[in-house]
Amino acid sequence: MNPALTLESSETTVFTFYLLPPTPSSPLTELISFDTADGIYDLAWSESHDSLLIAAVSDGSVKLYDTTLLPTQNPLRSFQEHTREVDSVDYNPTRRDSFISSSWDDTIKLWILDRPTSIHTFKEHAYCVYSAVWNTRHTDVFASASGDRIVRICDVREPGSTMIIPGHDFEILCCDWNKYDDCIIATASVDKRIRVWDMRSFRALILVLNGHGFAVRKVKFSPHHRNFLVSCSYDMTVCMWDFMMEDALVGRNDHHTEFAVGVDMSVLIDGLLASTGWDEMVYVWQHGTDPRSP
Amino acid sequence: MEKASNRQRVLLGHLRSSSAPRYNNHESSLSASACLAEGSAAYGDDVVVVAAYRTPQCKSKRGGFKDTHAEDLLAPVLKALIEKTNLDPREVGDIVVGSVLAPGSQRASECRMAAFYAGFPETVPIRTVNRKCSSGLQAVADVAASIKAGFYDVGIGAGLESMTVNSRAWVGNVNPKVKHFQKAQDCLLPMGVTSENVAHRFSVTRGEQDRAAVDSHRKAATASASGRFKDEIIPVATKIVDPKTGDEKPIIVSVDDGIRPNTSLADLGKLKAVFKKDGTTTAGNSSQVSDGAAAVLLMKRSVAMRKGLPILGVFRAFVVVGVDPATMGVGPAVAIPAAVKAAGLDLEDIDLFEINEAFASQFVYCCKKLELDLQKINVNGGAIAIGHPLGTTGARCVATLLHEMKRRGTGMGAAAVFESGDGSDELRNSRKVESINLLSRDSR
Repeated sequence: MNPALTLESSETTVFTFYLLPPTPSSPLTELISFDTADGIYDLAWSESHDSLLIAAVSDGSVKLYDTTLLPTQNPLRSFQEHTREVDSVDYNPTRRDSFISSSWDDTIKLWILDRPTSIHTFKEHAYCVYSAVWNTRHTDVFASASGDRIVRICDVREPGSTMIIPGHDFEILCCDWNKYDDCIIATASVDKRIRVWDMRSFRALILVLNGHGFAVRKVKFSPHHRNFLVSCSYDMTVCMWDFMMEDALVGRNDHHTEFAVGVDMSVLIDGLLASTGWDEMVYVWQHGTDPRSP
Repeated sequence: MEKASNRQRVLLGHLRSSSAPRYNNHESSLSASACLAEGSAAYGDDVVVVAAYRTPQCKSKRGGFKDTHAEDLLAPVLKALIEKTNLDPREVGDIVVGSVLAPGSQRASECRMAAFYAGFPETVPIRTVNRKCSSGLQAVADVAASIKAGFYDVGIGAGLESMTVNSRAWVGNVNPKVKHFQKAQDCLLPMGVTSENVAHRFSVTRGEQDRAAVDSHRKAATASASGRFKDEIIPVATKIVDPKTGDEKPIIVSVDDGIRPNTSLADLGKLKAVFKKDGTTTAGNSSQVSDGAAAVLLMKRSVAMRKGLPILGVFRAFVVVGVDPATMGVGPAVAIPAAVKAAGLDLEDIDLFEINEAFASQFVYCCKKLELDLQKINVNGGAIAIGHPLGTTGARCVATLLHEMKRRGTGMGAAAVFESGDGSDELRNSRKVESINLLSRDSR
C-alpha cells in the first residue's frame, strides 16, 4: 500500500495525488495530477502494483491510472460498462488482482485488471449502490450498501447475495468491514446514524452510533485499532468513535466548511487521518491534534 | 445539465429523508433553492477579469502629465494588458473607454488612435461611454454584459481622462425650461455645491471631512511608498515642458503625484470653503483634478482557463441607480446594497470596498449610512489623495481593488463610484465568489 493520499473531486474534474512524507509534520506535496472530463467519486490503490490506481468516474466508467506515467499517457484503460455514475471502487486486499465497482445503476461489477470486461455483474439492489467493500479476510466476500436501505453480503463464488441486512430505514451511504474482526461491519446512513453489526449473530445489531447532524456519508474502520472508526457527514464534521466504550463518540472535528464527503485512515501511520469536503479542502492530521494547524 | 440535476436529486435525497422524529426538526425545513451567488467554479460561463492596470494619476495642469496627449495615457495601459497576458490582440472583441469631458467624437477618435499605438489591429473596434464619473465603471460593466450576451468572448473596459486638456465648461446657452423644472436645474449645480448640500442635509461636519482627507492621503502614501501600487501601475514615458523656458524633457512617470504624505488636520483646517460661504467643502477634502487612464481585461472563464490566465476576479453584479441631482453623492448608499443583494450576498460578506472619494462629505455620509467597517474601505487611499480623472476612476478602482484582493487572497470586493445628476453604479467582482460594487460619481 502506498504512503500516499489520493484526492478525488466530484464535479470539479481534477484528480490529484499527494505524497505524504514519513514525518507528518512536513506539508503535503502534490505528486501528480490528472484532469478528467467528469467527476471522480472514488479511488482505490491497486494491491498488486503500487503505482496503479482505479478511479470510479461519474460518467459510468472505471478508469485505470498509473502514477509513474505522464498525465498525457493516462488513463491506461477505461472500463465502460456501468450505465450511471460509479460511486465506489474497492481493490481486493487479499487476492490482489480483482476489484469491484458499485454504481448508481444499481449494480456491482467484479473486474480483474487484465480482463477488458467485467467478470460478473451483481444485479440485486433496487437503487443506487453507494459503496461496495471487500472483506479484509475472506477473499471472495464483499458487502454493498445501497439506497434501497439494504446491505448485501455477497460471495463471488455464489450467484446471489449470501446475507441481507435491512440495515436502516433510510438510504445507506457507506459500509466498511472491521479490520480485526471479519464479521463486524459498520453501515452509515441518511438517518444520521452509524450501525455496527456482527455477522455471527445474524442481523443482531451491536451498536448504534448517534451524533451526526445530517446524513453520514462515509465510515471507515481503523487499520490499527479494533474498536476505532471514523466517519464524515453532510453536517460538515468528521467524527471518531470507539464502539466498545460507553460513550462511543471520542472526537469530533468540524474543520470543514462544507459537506465532508471523504475520510480515511492511514494504513502505515497510526492515527493519521485525512478528510476532504465540498469546501475544496483536504486535511491531513494526527488524531488528537487540530486539523487546521499547519 | 440533466446529469447534474440528477446528481443533485440523489444528494438532496440524502438530506431530505433524514427527519427522524426523535431529533429536532430543524432540518425538516430543508429545501433546495436556486443559488443566487452563482457558486465558485465549475462551469465556464462566468465573466472573469484576468488583468487590470492603470497609469499613475497626476495633477492636472501642474503634474507629470500636463504636457501629455490623452491617447498617450490610454495606449500604455492597453498595451500592458496585451503584453502581460500574452494575449493576441486580434482576439479582443471590443474596447470600451469611459471618458467624460472631451468632445465625444474627438475622444472616440483619440481612443482609436491609442489602440493603434498600443499595437491593436484595425479589426479590433473601440467605443467610448459617458456616465460622467462612473464612466470607467460603466465601461467595465458594458464589456461584461456584452460577453455574457455572447457578443464576444474577450473585451477591455477602460477609462481615460485628461483634465489638463479638457475642462468642465458648459458650451452654449442653458435651456430656459430649467427654470420650471427644479431637478433639471439641479443638474447644472457645480459638484461642490452638491457636496455642500449633502454635508448640510446629513450633518457631515468639516472635521469629519478633513479627517477623511487625512486618512486618504495617509493610506495612499503608505501604499505608494511600500510598493503596493507597483503591480497595478504602468509607468508612462512622456515629456514635460518647462513653463518658463519652453524646454522639453523626456520623463518617465511612475508614481501618483497628488499624494501628500504630510497632510494634517491643522493644514486642512486652514483652507477656506470654496463653494458656499461658511461651507465645509474645501480643496483639501475634495478629490483632485487629475489626468490618468486605466484598463481592465475581461473574458469568459472558459477562455481564461484555456489560456492558463490567472483569474483576478469574477464579475458578479452591477447596479446603477438614480438619485436627487442636488445631493448626488448619496448614490453609493443606494447602489451598494442593491448590488450586494443582486449578487446574493450581504454587506458583511464584502471584504473590501473601493468607494470613490469625489468629496469627503459624500464619502463619509455613505460609509456612515451603510455602517461599513472603515478598515475595509479604500485601504490604499482614494480620490482625495490619488486623484479623480473623471472617466478613469471607475476602471482605476477596479484595478486597485482587484490587486489588493489578490494580495490578501480574499473573496469579495465592491467598487462604487457615484455620478452627478444620476446615481451610482456598483460593480461587483469577486475572487472565487465576490462582487464588486462600483459606484460611479460624476463630479462636474
